[in-house]
Amino acid sequence: MRKRRAAFVAAGVAAALAATTACGSGSDNGGSDAANFEAKPSGTMSYWGFDNPDDVGQARLDHAAKQLDGVTIESDQTGFDAQKFTTRLASGNVPDVVQMDRELVLTYAAQNLILPLDTCLSANKVGKDRWYPSVVDSVTYKDQIWAVPQFYQPPAIILNKTVMDAAGVQDTDIDTSNPDKLLAAIGKMYKANGDVPSTLGFNPQAIGQTNLWLVGMGGRLADENGQPALDDPNNVAALELLKKIVDAQGGFAKYKSFTDSFDMFGEKNQFVQNQVGAEVDAQWYPNVLSPYKDKIKLAAVPFRGKDGNPVTASSGTSFVVPAKAKNPAAACRWALALTEDGSWTAAAEARAATVKQKNSIDTGLFTGSPVADKAIREQFVKPSGNAGFDQVISTYYDIVDKGKSVGASPAGQQIKQELLNALTAALLGSKTAQQALADAQAASMDAYKTVTGG
Amino acid sequence: MTPSTVTPRDTGTRSRSRRSTRPARTARYNRREALAGYLFISPWIVGFLVFTAGTMIYSLVISFSHYNLATNVIRPAGTSNYQELLENPKVATSLGNTLFYAVLAVPLEICFALLLAMLLNGVGRGAGFFRTVYYLPKMTPMVATASMFLLLLNGNTGAINQGLRSIGIDGPQWLVDPGWVKPSIVLMTLWGVSGTMVIFLAALKNVPRDLYEVASLDGAGPVRKFFSITLPMISGAMFFNVIILTIHAFQVFDQAYLLFWRDQNNAAPDASLFYAVYLFQEAFRQFNFGFAAAMAWLLFVILMILTFIQVRVGNRFVYYEGGR
Repeated sequence: MRKRRAAFVAAGVAAALAATTACGSGSDNGGSDAANFEAKPSGTMSYWGFDNPDDVGQARLDHAAKQLDGVTIESDQTGFDAQKFTTRLASGNVPDVVQMDRELVLTYAAQNLILPLDTCLSANKVGKDRWYPSVVDSVTYKDQIWAVPQFYQPPAIILNKTVMDAAGVQDTDIDTSNPDKLLAAIGKMYKANGDVPSTLGFNPQAIGQTNLWLVGMGGRLADENGQPALDDPNNVAALELLKKIVDAQGGFAKYKSFTDSFDMFGEKNQFVQNQVGAEVDAQWYPNVLSPYKDKIKLAAVPFRGKDGNPVTASSGTSFVVPAKAKNPAAACRWALALTEDGSWTAAAEARAATVKQKNSIDTGLFTGSPVADKAIREQFVKPSGNAGFDQVISTYYDIVDKGKSVGASPAGQQIKQELLNALTAALLGSKTAQQALADAQAASMDAYKTVTGG
Repeated sequence: MTPSTVTPRDTGTRSRSRRSTRPARTARYNRREALAGYLFISPWIVGFLVFTAGTMIYSLVISFSHYNLATNVIRPAGTSNYQELLENPKVATSLGNTLFYAVLAVPLEICFALLLAMLLNGVGRGAGFFRTVYYLPKMTPMVATASMFLLLLNGNTGAINQGLRSIGIDGPQWLVDPGWVKPSIVLMTLWGVSGTMVIFLAALKNVPRDLYEVASLDGAGPVRKFFSITLPMISGAMFFNVIILTIHAFQVFDQAYLLFWRDQNNAAPDASLFYAVYLFQEAFRQFNFGFAAAMAWLLFVILMILTFIQVRVGNRFVYYEGGR
């Protein structure tokens, strides 16, 4: 009896094992072979990650829906989540198109978790020249395009003239190519209650805009082959400069706690409260500040590289089509419809209506497409009557074609994480910049070898 | 009357038949009872086999493999994933952080939960109200709790440091200074200690009142009563809580992830890299499922050893009502 029972249990366990390990018997071709981007879009298409669309997003969604006549569009408007995406891929229940940060794209591409989109573009007669070259570079791997990019938010430096004037600091003093001059200006504007900062002379956005500091100092995250290059001497110089800037303002711990407490999107933001004299910000931030135009006095200067020339860094989001997507043709057409000129025009019209309703300022849209950017600027971005804001807007338009890439890598996600770890260690002083980046390089190389099988 | 004392003359054919069929009926009855029992617990058994045992065995297979998520194909990797556990410095860092957290968090949770339970046990009127209030933090979503602690623990403007500043103490940079990162997570853990508190409260309610009365007559004070009566009588609950909290401490994820690692553009000190967080990163951000599975098995083995030691040591001190 006991033997029979044992046999029964053993059989049950074996069946459970067989059921679970059966998952591993799939073919080794990913699913990209089945992708057909040339078919006429039809059926049902689902998208994910286009969460909480604002006026601009909704206008583009409406425009894209009209271009896909006869296609039923379903949405999951939650934000992108790596674990959810992975789980859905493992189960084979994937959406047809996903919006994700451009910095993630190559990591997923290297794992064949998403489809290359060159056929998608050619089938829809869309050339790479729709986007800025640095934007295309950020989604290119092994000479293939892996995402439909959108937006290009170049960072520049917004000046709080109220704080600067009170400290006797000129616009030309905020010059990132001249560290001594910059540090002197910071010293004039920085204020603290005891040892707690109350006004930063300059918020370098050390964590949020690290890529800008790297390209500004001539550094990079990866070389032309996608191999990590964190130990580049220019990267070391960038981190050392950031440490000097942060140390001049109470040190990293106090600096970070202070910036974490900013009411960045509210009416008590750091410019209204005069908590910063100058700050690195992406192009969308003047739009956040525009409702408070009567309370603040702004100007802007470009971020200057060590050679003294304006420079900026590419960032934005993109649409990818997962491997095993059931309706890649519709997904491809939908993503391209969202990023075509008509879509951006509809978005700009919606934004203009919002601006008129709220009596704020139209700061323009930075779409990732040079043609759309130019058209929107000419048609919608008009003098606002606020000279400071107009100069800020103009500065961003002036630098949009000065973008440089930090390099793209299939281990991009790990490299970025290691960079942030190194940055934290260097700014806290627990390691020198050189040691922190050397450690980060070693960890990134391990990840790179794992990804590429090298 | 036992069967050996019954003669055939006394009982006749009917008795003989009853004698021979009774064991068979009993056996049938027992089988039916057993079958019914198995049927009743079968949902759990199926769930355990498929969702626990099955997945555990599958993860063991994956830990000796390279698993490709896109193709769902497993390639044998030998022991390379386990070798990497020894070579990867982040494994040691995250394990050290987790161990430090467990050593700090478990005793504090036990003490704090026991203190709250004793306070609640002493409340007469309105005990239900206070029990509800004290249990509310456990019902609050962890994301909301993390958001609140991000504000509370801000080194410059947080309420905790402002409170400390008002009494002349310059508080630490809780969320940035590597030396204070783990204590800040322990603080957040203590906020949700009410689950442990409820178990202690139930145990305290079961301590016979007459033991305290006798002790009072003998002149014992509150401290003596606590160490000589309360603590031994609730040692079973204490033992259970220590084991469960230790396991939870080694699996700590939510607090560290929400405070430091959720935003992939945020910079977090190494001190906040806990074992489960690193495991998650390897699996779901780097797609190293084989290595992540090996990490999971290492943690499983560590917890098994710790639990074994705790059981062996704990049994010497635990009082079991009615014996073991």
